[in-house]
Amino acid sequence: MVNQRLMKGTIHWLLTVLVIIYLITGFGITEYRIVEPLTFGLLTKSLAQKIHISLEIPFIILLILHIWLLPLLKYFKSKKLRNN
Amino acid sequence: MRKAMTSRGILFLVLFPILVAALIFAVVMDVDETEELGPVEIREYEGKDLSSIDNFRENSIRGPQEIDVESYTLRITGLVANSTSYTYDEVLNRHQHYEKVVTLDCVEGWSVTILWEGLLVRDLLAEAEPLANAEVVIFHAYDGYTTSLPIDYIMDNDILMAYKMNDVILPPERGFPFQLVAESKWGYKWIKWITEIELSDDANYRGYWESRGYSNSADLDKGFFGD
Repeated sequence: MVNQRLMKGTIHWLLTVLVIIYLITGFGITEYRIVEPLTFGLLTKSLAQKIHISLEIPFIILLILHIWLLPLLKYFKSKKLRNN
Repeated sequence: MRKAMTSRGILFLVLFPILVAALIFAVVMDVDETEELGPVEIREYEGKDLSSIDNFRENSIRGPQEIDVESYTLRITGLVANSTSYTYDEVLNRHQHYEKVVTLDCVEGWSVTILWEGLLVRDLLAEAEPLANAEVVIFHAYDGYTTSLPIDYIMDNDILMAYKMNDVILPPERGFPFQLVAESKWGYKWIKWITEIELSDDANYRGYWESRGYSNSADLDKGFFGD
């Protein structure tokens, strides 16, 4: 149970952080004239785009886990109980 | 019930004239206001659907530039036998015009298919007579933006420098007076507000976005990061 809660919490927070980075880098691409000076030139358009693209797959995986992890765990648990 | 009807009647008597007056006022105002019609762009060409000139996303480095056509000059400089300078009318009147439907693909993920009308960059370069050691054509824009393309790409392909899109003169936000139609290249090669075309032997020259991590070749069939 503790593991389930820990997993759920970890995925939740990872997804939150990822969504925030995804949004910021998205703005870094389309609104680079604002984002670049705001980040003191650290987040350039090309860097934002590289990060944004590299986050696509992790984002999809985390989103799927976020939606399906608990139902899947419950399903496997009930299956295990039935088998016992 | 009768009292309620009376109240509704009074309300109607008050509101109805107001509504009629408001309607008349709106119609009169609408008739009096003369709206200036914008240029009418075409949206289909030889069976091909075209995007609108409003479908572009504004992503230039310093925002739209307003260029005074009276004082505008296009200079051809660098490794050429005849450095030349043209006014806007000279560019338009002295060269053959061509039309072509080409799609611009931006690295941001959007694209637009437009009927471009302009002149061949090759024709301009031919007049300037490039020297044998010229390898790269560097385009300079009014806002300080630069980009470059190999001279072979310009000479071997029908690369347009457009002054019209969808049969409409380029508006300032779209690059008036001239935008490069760098077909088969990513959007950052489609430089707007061109003021100078420089020929160079510096094969390693990198323009504004190219020096910030984007590919120098910018071929559409390859990624936009790298060489």
